[in-house]
Order: sequence, then C-alpha cells, then structure tokens
Amino acid sequence: MHTFSYVKAKSLKEAGDMLAAHADAKLLAGGMTLIPTLKARLAQPSHLIDISGIAELTGIDVKDGKLTIGAGTKHVEVARSAVVKKAIPALAYLANQIGDPQVRNRGTIGGSLANNDPAADYPSAALAVGATIVTNKREIAADDFFQGMFSTALGTGEMIVKIVFPVPAKAAYEKFPHPASGYAMAGSFISQTAKGVRVAITGAGPGVFRWKEAEAALGKKMNAAAVEGINVDSTDLNEDMHGTREYRANLAKVMTKRAVAKLSGK
Amino acid sequence: MDQHHHSQLFEVGGAQVSRLEDVRLITGNGKYSSDWNAPDQLHACFLRSDRAHARIVSINYEKVGQIKGVVGVYTGDDAKASGYLRSANFLTFAGKGGMKAKVPDRPCIAIGKVRFVGDIVAMVIAESHLAAQDACELIEVTYDDLPAVIDPVAALAPGAPQLHDEIPGNAPFEAETGDEASVTDAISKAAHVTKLTVDCTRVTASPMEPRAALIEFDATNGGYIVHTPSQGVNMTRRQFAGYTNLAEDKFRVDIQDVGGGFGQRSTVYPEYISMMIAAKALQRPIKWVSTRTESFLSDTHGRGNIITATLALDKNAQFTGLRIDWLTDMGAFLSPTGPVSHIRNPSTCLNGVYKIPALYGHFTVALTNTMLVAAYRGAGRPDIAYAIERVVDAAALELKMDPADLRRRNYIPANEFPYKTATGSTYECADLPGLSAKALALADWSGFEARKAASAKKGKLRGIGMSTVIENTGAGMYPKDEIEISVDAKGLVTAHSVAQSQGQSHETTFAMVISNALGIPVERIKIRQGDPDKATTMIGNHSGGSRTMVGAGTVCHIAANKLIDAGKSLAAEDLGVEPSQVTYSKGEFSSKQSKKKITLAQLATKKTLCVRGEGTFLSTFPNGCHIAEVEIDPETGVTDIASYLSVDDCGHVVSHTVVEGQMHGAVVQGLGQVFGEHIVYDKQSGQMLTASFGDYIMPRAGQHLKSMRMEEHATMSKVGPLGIKGMGESGCTASLGALVNAMSNALGVKHVDMPLTPAKVWKTIQQTKAIN
Repeated sequence: MHTFSYVKAKSLKEAGDMLAAHADAKLLAGGMTLIPTLKARLAQPSHLIDISGIAELTGIDVKDGKLTIGAGTKHVEVARSAVVKKAIPALAYLANQIGDPQVRNRGTIGGSLANNDPAADYPSAALAVGATIVTNKREIAADDFFQGMFSTALGTGEMIVKIVFPVPAKAAYEKFPHPASGYAMAGSFISQTAKGVRVAITGAGPGVFRWKEAEAALGKKMNAAAVEGINVDSTDLNEDMHGTREYRANLAKVMTKRAVAKLSGK
Repeated sequence: MDQHHHSQLFEVGGAQVSRLEDVRLITGNGKYSSDWNAPDQLHACFLRSDRAHARIVSINYEKVGQIKGVVGVYTGDDAKASGYLRSANFLTFAGKGGMKAKVPDRPCIAIGKVRFVGDIVAMVIAESHLAAQDACELIEVTYDDLPAVIDPVAALAPGAPQLHDEIPGNAPFEAETGDEASVTDAISKAAHVTKLTVDCTRVTASPMEPRAALIEFDATNGGYIVHTPSQGVNMTRRQFAGYTNLAEDKFRVDIQDVGGGFGQRSTVYPEYISMMIAAKALQRPIKWVSTRTESFLSDTHGRGNIITATLALDKNAQFTGLRIDWLTDMGAFLSPTGPVSHIRNPSTCLNGVYKIPALYGHFTVALTNTMLVAAYRGAGRPDIAYAIERVVDAAALELKMDPADLRRRNYIPANEFPYKTATGSTYECADLPGLSAKALALADWSGFEARKAASAKKGKLRGIGMSTVIENTGAGMYPKDEIEISVDAKGLVTAHSVAQSQGQSHETTFAMVISNALGIPVERIKIRQGDPDKATTMIGNHSGGSRTMVGAGTVCHIAANKLIDAGKSLAAEDLGVEPSQVTYSKGEFSSKQSKKKITLAQLATKKTLCVRGEGTFLSTFPNGCHIAEVEIDPETGVTDIASYLSVDDCGHVVSHTVVEGQMHGAVVQGLGQVFGEHIVYDKQSGQMLTASFGDYIMPRAGQHLKSMRMEEHATMSKVGPLGIKGMGESGCTASLGALVNAMSNALGVKHVDMPLTPAKVWKTIQQTKAIN
C-alpha cells in the first residue's frame, strides 16, 4: 500500500466538501474493491474519506410501490431484510450471492454500483428493475447510469446517496459464478412490471446490458421456451482463457432460462 | 498371502485419537515462519522482472534515497561478489548415452539477464516492509528485450530463443530406461496399438502459509540462523551449503510449524540466499514475507509434462509393450528436485500395475522462460500413472472392451510379487486383482448403465472411470532415519525427529507408535521436529515422497523398544537382578525374582534415559483402485463428482483418521488439477495470466465432490517391522486418471486434456455435437 491520509466524514455534506477539497481522494465505504486495489499498489489516492458512519446513507424503506435502499447498506443487510424480501425477493437473493460472507458483511450496494465492475451482481438488478440512482447532486435513471466497464455517469465530487427500485410484479436472478473469482461469468436479472419485461445481463460483456430480444420474447410469453430460439449476440462479449464469447453468450441465455423458470415458479 | 485388515498391533490406533497438534494450531498458537521476529530486524522486498526474457542494460537506484528508512539495494553485482551462483541439484545420475546434465548457474539475483517474469532483479533492504516496497518502485531498470519461449516443444525446436549460452537448444538433459528395441519389436508385432498424448498440466501448490524467512548472520561461525518453511531441516541445510559453498554446520535452521509443503517447500530459494548477503553485510536480521502474487510467480510450480504413451496389445488384449515419451518443462533453470523426480519416479513405475514384458521410457528436459518446476505431491508418479491409466482406457474404447475387463486381464498377479519390472525395479507386494474387484463391487460398476439412464432423464451426462495405480514411496536420500527418545523425571517422553510435518500429523502418529510400544498414554509423549540443536547431529530424511511414516515413524517404534532395553539394564541395579530378569509393561520395570518395581519416571530421576534408534528403508509400494462417477450439466459444462470411491493398500495403518485425511486431501488436490488449477503464461509475452486466485481456479469445499468413500485392502510391507507403506501422495496419483477417465467416458471422447473447466467441457460437448 502507498501512504494516504485517512479522514472520516460525519455527514453527507462533510463528505462532499472533503471530496471537493482533495482532487485525488477516494470514498471508502465497505472497501471490498478499494482495499485490495490499494494492497496491490494499483491505486494511490491522497485521502481515503470514510463514509461508513454517515446516517443519511443508511436505511431500507418501502413506500408507494418504491423500495429505497441507502447507499451505505451492506449486502448482508439487503440479503436479510424482511422489507426487501417482501418487496423484491430476487434482490435479497442476489445480495446473498455476492462474494463470500466476509465481503457481504462489509461491501455496500452504493459501492458496488459506483464501481460498476462488469461482473458485479447489483448493476443487473438496478438496470432490469429500472432503478433511480440518487446522488448528492441529482437523480440518474439506471439506463443512463451504467456506461461500460468501471464507468458510470457519476461526475467529480458526486456520490450515491440511495437507490430507488420501483417494485416489479415479479423478478428473478440467476448467476453463473466464475470458477476462480466467484464473480458473475454471466448473470441474468428479469423483472416483470405493468410496463413490460426487462432483462439485464451482467458478467458476460464489458458492462451490464439489456437483452432486448429476450425482453420482447418474454413480453409475449413468460416461459423458458420463449428464449430457446434466440441468442445473445456474442460479438461484443468478453473472451479470455476462462471462456469464449460464445460460451458467455450461452451462459447468459441459460441463466435467463433458469431465471424465467424461477420467476414462473417452474 | 500376508493380507489382513486393521491389525491389532495398535490398540490406540483403533481408538481414533484426535490430533494432538490440533488445539495448538486451531487456537492460533502455531508458530509459522512469519511469526519469527528479531528486535532489530530489517525488511527485504524484491524487485522482480516484469518481462520473460531480456538483457539488463542498467539498474538505476539513485531515487531510493528519497524513501526514509532504506538501508541498501542489492543487485546481480552483489550476487557475483558473493559467489552465490549455483543452487544445489540432485540430478547426479547419467543420462542417455552416459550424458551429464548441463545444470545452468542460478545466481541468487539475476546477473545481466532475466529469464522469466518474477526473476529477481534487485533486493531492497529497509527499516520497514513498506519503505522497502516504496523503494522498489523507484528503481529504474533498462531492459533490452529478447524473444521468449514459453512452450517446451517450441523451446526444443531449431531456432528457438536460447535461455543459457552454455545450454544449446534449451536441452540440458535426456535420459532413458528399459529396452527400446524390444518395445519397437512388440509394437511391430502387435494385434492392436493405442497411442495417446496427454498434457499433465503446470500447476502450483498454493500452501496456506506463504513463503517467508527471517535470516540472521551468525558472527560466531560465519554462518546463518534461518527460520523458513521447510520440509526438513537437513535437506534445507544441505541446499544452503550447496548454494553458498559453506559447510552444512554453518546453518542453524529453526522451524516449528509449517503450513503446507507439497514439494514446494523442499527447495531452497534464491530470496533466502540474497537475504544472507544483506544479513552479513549489515549485521542485522533480515525478514521477508511473500505476497500471494509473488507465490504464484516465484514458488516452484509442479507437473508440466507432456507424455505420449504407446501401448501394444496382442490378440487376447494382453499388453506386450509400452513406450513412454516424456517431455518435461522445467522452466528457466533446473530446480533441485524437479528433473530428478520427474525422471526417476516414472522410471520406477513405468508399467503401472500391469505385467508388461517390454518397456521403454525416453525423457527429454526442456528449459523455457517460465518459473522453475519442482516436485509436487507425487512428483512424476501421478503423471506416469495418469498417462498409463488414460492409454488403457483409450485402448478399451478402441477395442470396445470394458475398461475393467481390460485391466483385469493385465494386472500383475498377486502371486508374482515381489515383481521385477522390465525397467529393473522391484514392486514389493500388492493384491491388485483383489483390490480392484473390491472397488468394482463397492462402486457397483456393473450397475452404471441404470444410473446413466437416470441422469439422462434429468438431462445430464454421466460417466464412470477407474484408475488402478502403484507407486514407489518411502526410500530417502539419507543413509538412515534416526529418532531420539528421552524420559524426564516426570515420566514425560520426548522424541526428536528431523522429519518435518507440514500438516501430516506427525505429532499424533509418532506419539501413537511410541505410546503403543511403551504402553503409556499419547498425552505423555511429546514430539519435537527439527530442533536445531539436534539437527546438527541427527541423520534423517526430510518429509517428502511419502516417506516419513515408513522411515521416521517406524524408527519411533525401534527407538521406543531400544529405550525399554536400555531401561531394563539401568533398572536391573535398582531391582537387584540381572537385566534379563527385568520385564517392562506400561511405564514400569519390574522383576518377578526380586518382587521390586520402578517406574519410567523414577528411573529417569536417577539415570539418564535417552536413546537413539535408527533404521534404513527401501521403497514401499502403496497401491489403490479409485472409481469416479461424474455428472455433467451439458448446458453449462459444470461437473459434479456424483461419487468417488477409493480402495487403497498402504499396508499397516497407524491412524485411520490421519490416513483418511491424507487420502481426502490428495484426491482433492488431483481434482483441483483435473477441473481447474492451471498455471498459464501468455505464449507471446510470457506474462503469467494466473497470478491470483481471481484467475487460478482452486477447488472449493462442496464445489465438485458430492460423495467420497474410502476403503482399505492392505498387504503388509516387510520393508519395516510395522508393515507401513507411505501413502501421502497416492491419492493424487490415482485421482487424475480416475477423474479424466470418467470425464472422457461421459463426454464420449477418446481423450480431453485437463483442466476440465466448465467452459472447456461445454466446448467439448459442442464439438462432439458438431461431429455427430
């Protein structure tokens, strides 16, 4: 690790001021990506601004058909929350698939979304459900928020405060964990609302994306057979020693089929 | 036949003693290498090559002065000045046509040229680990890049980049065994010939304890005091001596707990030698703890063999000849244990479990721009067993025979043991047909088709595979194994050994052997391994090659009995009788004649009760038949091992708990290689693509193995008085073949190379679909 200054923010405003004051500062929430990056000496922030104690970033609440989760909420809290389990059980299920117990006890939903790791789980839920990312400056629709590998719409000095998920009629998530890292090699989140079906695929490509052909097919008929005849376009998917892009396209489809089966209770 | 189960020799053994070391280790009271500290220690950090092959034009470390606490920077110039340029090497036998191995220099810090990613370019010493790390990043190295060669076949091809000027063609050694003409003759006359090439992949051991060292210069004798993970003090001292040209007695190696060895901790590494230079120059202890990334880059790798097996069969499907062509990728230099174990061990077991009249093995060693390869659990024996068990299955497939039947026709019959192989080794004892029949019955081999149909109904592919293996274990490189046993005034027994547990439970099993001989509870027996004050005078092998229970473990029995004899002589005076009139039982000497008695503790208050027992042991031949059944999800390529059965013969078992633990660990280590573990270098750049657990696929609990059953079918060894056969590696040896045979069977292919990751399995299914 390189040396850095550690500061703890007591409020959202204080954190924002600190971010504005130090150009090379980084926010520290659960630290589940940041700390390993620092240990590998791959990042050299001047300051770490600890936001783990800020009250405005906590809380899980459902009102008027919307589930709101504070950015500082840990994966384990989402996984165990009775409110989440009732409103969007697939989201609680997803949270319980992230990393291992140690990661789930530290990592936060805001940290995961802000990092936008192409193999992270949460981005698929936010995109499929059509969540709104609320920052200290504005509200951003999930469709606009994710901008490819480790890239988001967040600007300088901007931090996520909470995430608002419109509660879908039904939702399901299925993931194929990478055999080494455990991250999603392909994960499919399906949500069904009055407005239609949305399918978001994580892990397989350079960033989370919607599989629109599957959305159309499943909009007509919500069963696994509906996606049997269509395929994820593999052209822009990831390819490495762990699998070809064709394999990842296949996994995206298989995970979608399994999510559909789960969603339709089959 | 001398065959019986669960001998009554050990009363304690039947009682399933829990491990005596467990409480210490699981409560955090173990003492591993990084737990050693000295008050005035400095810290080392190594700058490693970030390229596979390059000339070092210049090293500029002017900027390290910016970092507070930096004490020194050491480079190849210091290595040259020290003369620490050649590591020990055990490749001392003659090769093909009497050729001598060309062993390249391996300076402890690279001189003039780097040869693999991770090669040491410089060492920084600082007051803190952090300062040393910061300083390393400020060193500027100018390289002149050279083309690299990663693939061993490419390395031996004409025009390949040359790693060492003194080793033309990157070919340091070639060896052969058996008789080529007779095998060529058998192949030409065969009714059927099956030929198969298998890649026994490159992997790494990943012990939980990272490599570490605390090294101090000993001004009293000009030597060094060393704490580092090792598989045995004597072998480590010998290698230190070999590297530095100092006498062995200049090295005081003090080790307590070691968290995993697997052959990877048999090697003395250049980091330690570099640290000696600094420790001497600065007259302060130097400490270093490896990161996990450094472990991947710079801890010796294992396996790395491409093996072609050519099997000749007559019209009755009897094996008439076997030719093995073996290419071993040793990395950029020759490790002390790699080449010797990858040639000697397979030569000893070249025919596997089969009666084959004509045998020939040809071994070629290649150097590549990669980390060194050394012994790795089984060290050549899993590789040869894997090649043979695969080619036998491939032959069965081609001949449309039941693989179990083909094996049955060719096993060495039980009454032909001791069996002399066509390469000149002698297998001591085994009952292969009986062992295999038991395994087939327990695994319900004949009921497989019904289970396959049930799997097919669920949309799954099911396969079954067996592997019957035998291997040489136990013999060591030292002339004997010694154990010293003493008794103190409280009647507590202490036994010293120079063997070194890295997780093999010696503290329990040695104590059980002594407890049984002395008739006192195990709790009153303390085992101390690698005490540096004893190591300088005790002779004995390190723990590797499954040799410790055969050697040191058996000597515990011999030494305990010697202690009783010595005690009788000493007790005779107190009891007022002749030694022959003294009897010993359960910690007490007594005499019928004088009706007197004296306890071990009482005797120890008056007399010194201390003996050294010794023994010399030849190889033992553990063997086993393993049967795996796999179920594949064709949609994702994910494999479950639906059942895994092993029937093993490791002679007399001291602790069934410990043997089951070793077997379980070894099978899972094999499973790891079969389903995921793989060290991969980019073929062009030579960068390692698997330098973290994010890319290196370690097996996880519950991931593949759904059921495992372990049974025994023992034949007693006469190599030692206890009948023990060394079994720490045999599970690995059997599991590679059993699992890949099951996978090939499920996939309906002649062969598919490891690692069988979900992506590889899925791709194989797609290719098979396309062909059919």
